[in-house]
Amino acid sequence: MKRLLLSISDGRGFDIALVSVPLTFLFMMAGLPLAYNIVMSFQEVDMFSLGTFLRPFVGLKNYATLFSMPETWPILKNTALFVIASIAGQFIIGFGLALFFWTNFPGASWLRGLFLVSWVMPGLVVGAIWNWILSGDFGVLNYLLRESGLITGNIFWRSDPSFSLWAVVIANIWLGISFNMILLSVGLSTISQDLYEAAELDGANVFQRFFTITLPMMRSTIGAIISLGLIFTLQQFDLFAAITAGGPNNSSNVAQYWAWDLSFRQYDFAQGATISVIMIVFVMIASVVYVRSTRHEVRG
Amino acid sequence: MTVHQIELTGINKYYGAYHALRDIDLKIRKGAFVALVGPSGCGKSTLLRSLAGLETISSGDLVIAGAKMNGVPPRKRDLAMVFQSYALYPHMTVEQNLTYSLRIRGVDKAEAKRKAEEVAATTGLSHLLGRYPRELSGGQRQRVAMSRAIIRNPKAFLFDEPLSNLDAALRVHMRKEIRALHERLKATSVYVTHDQIEAMTMADHVVVMRQGIIEQQGAPLELYDRPVNKFVAGFIGSPAMNFVPASSGSDGKSLLLEFEEPQTIPFMRPVKAGQPLLVGIRPEHFELAGDSDAMLRLPVGAVETTGASTYITTATQPELVIVLNSRAAIRSGEIIGLRFDPAHLHLFDQQTEIRLG
Repeated sequence: MKRLLLSISDGRGFDIALVSVPLTFLFMMAGLPLAYNIVMSFQEVDMFSLGTFLRPFVGLKNYATLFSMPETWPILKNTALFVIASIAGQFIIGFGLALFFWTNFPGASWLRGLFLVSWVMPGLVVGAIWNWILSGDFGVLNYLLRESGLITGNIFWRSDPSFSLWAVVIANIWLGISFNMILLSVGLSTISQDLYEAAELDGANVFQRFFTITLPMMRSTIGAIISLGLIFTLQQFDLFAAITAGGPNNSSNVAQYWAWDLSFRQYDFAQGATISVIMIVFVMIASVVYVRSTRHEVRG
Repeated sequence: MTVHQIELTGINKYYGAYHALRDIDLKIRKGAFVALVGPSGCGKSTLLRSLAGLETISSGDLVIAGAKMNGVPPRKRDLAMVFQSYALYPHMTVEQNLTYSLRIRGVDKAEAKRKAEEVAATTGLSHLLGRYPRELSGGQRQRVAMSRAIIRNPKAFLFDEPLSNLDAALRVHMRKEIRALHERLKATSVYVTHDQIEAMTMADHVVVMRQGIIEQQGAPLELYDRPVNKFVAGFIGSPAMNFVPASSGSDGKSLLLEFEEPQTIPFMRPVKAGQPLLVGIRPEHFELAGDSDAMLRLPVGAVETTGASTYITTATQPELVIVLNSRAAIRSGEIIGLRFDPAHLHLFDQQTEIRLG
């Protein structure tokens, strides 16, 4: 007994006690719902069995049903498009801005800080603002495109099936740029200026320096930011709710919005859970990439 | 006619209102090893970086191998630099570090690899080619930095305090290695250091700088024997030269050293009577003397011995440091007799601190 007390006050027991608090919290708040979600995807769930835990086990039936639904593949394709386009846009523009502010002109750090405003705004507010910008009749975006001669007629961004997904992508890129820029700026600032001077004397021009010094030195930051981007875009829900609600006719629907729609609007909890499980697999892969890339930091 | 690899004429550099380099004139012979030395902030690094093209000069002419280089970007100057931090590419192996400049230039892979192996063999890095910089010791990193410069066969090597991150023993060792390398390659080298011993031992031409000005340049011993002013006299040599205010005696054949109790010493060279002077004498130029031939008699303050030499600090104002290359049974508080060769005295004007005679 005395040894146990001693261990808890100063020893392995103390370490375990410290670790167990966050682990318990994580298990209760994330682990249990996750497991419950996976269990539900193998059960028959309806409004009447919602209150019980022991429900009929149906094996892979929910998965089979899901993939036989006509909207499944288009929605998964939308999800992939949304994720890839959002990450690409956020990363490329964010990296561009990070490089721009890295030149350290007067006021650079101050301006860079201002960019964070977009990151602080709630998705629903961002969605509401973009609704106005994207509006078919009086939207600023249409006005700009029309006045610059790029389009002749108005684009109805939110209600035209061929543009609705891109309407959300544009808003999401705007939302994520500042986060990408800040993380990439931090990554850039850790590269020693000496390396660029050495490369310059070694004969490398600005592009060669970018591809042989900046990019490889940023590898871990880029890996981290892309996997975080994957997680954040798969979480992006508010913008869909605010801008298109997945419509028209599922043309801008994505897995995360659809899962919510199935579960909480159509009360088909089993299908909602099934989609969520498929998404979990992708998020897990992203998490592994993230953890690995932060572990592989190259620091001279 | 000597060939000058680097010619600087009237170089000025301003950072805003700050005048970092003032009218620098410097000619560097092909194959010479030149050290830029001075206290921190003297402009030596700025001068080196201007040579490399990492800083732009405000005015003057910068000529490398006969071509004017004022506005030419660093990558087109064909100079190699060894940085204080080494600036090794952390994401590349030693071999990739060495071949970087060749690959940038489009030298083919096999040729680059062959050259890397060749250079590595001469600098003792052959067994480390596959390692990353983080897996190397300080001395090994230093060698990689040097090899990276050597492999390019550049117009000149620039060294920016390359030894200051090494411990004392390794520094002495690398000093010899760099010197030996220079003997072998005969490459024009410009070496920046704040350590006058490094400058004296390695270079065949030393440039002493202060506040953006070249105070004196010449062969190491020339600087040691005939410093042009008090600054150079005090900067070159260790321990530093002793300075005592003095005036010439009325007979014109003696100097009055102004300690609290002034002492007269014989002096042959003609000096204007009554002119305020500063007399300099190096610690190693004193000898102990008996009663009969002592030129100075001074009380002893502190005595330190290293075994090989004895360091005596006198209890006078200003205090003198005396280095004897022998052991001496001297205790604090004693009065000792000293003598020296009057030819070893350096005279400076007290006001301008410029050398007289």
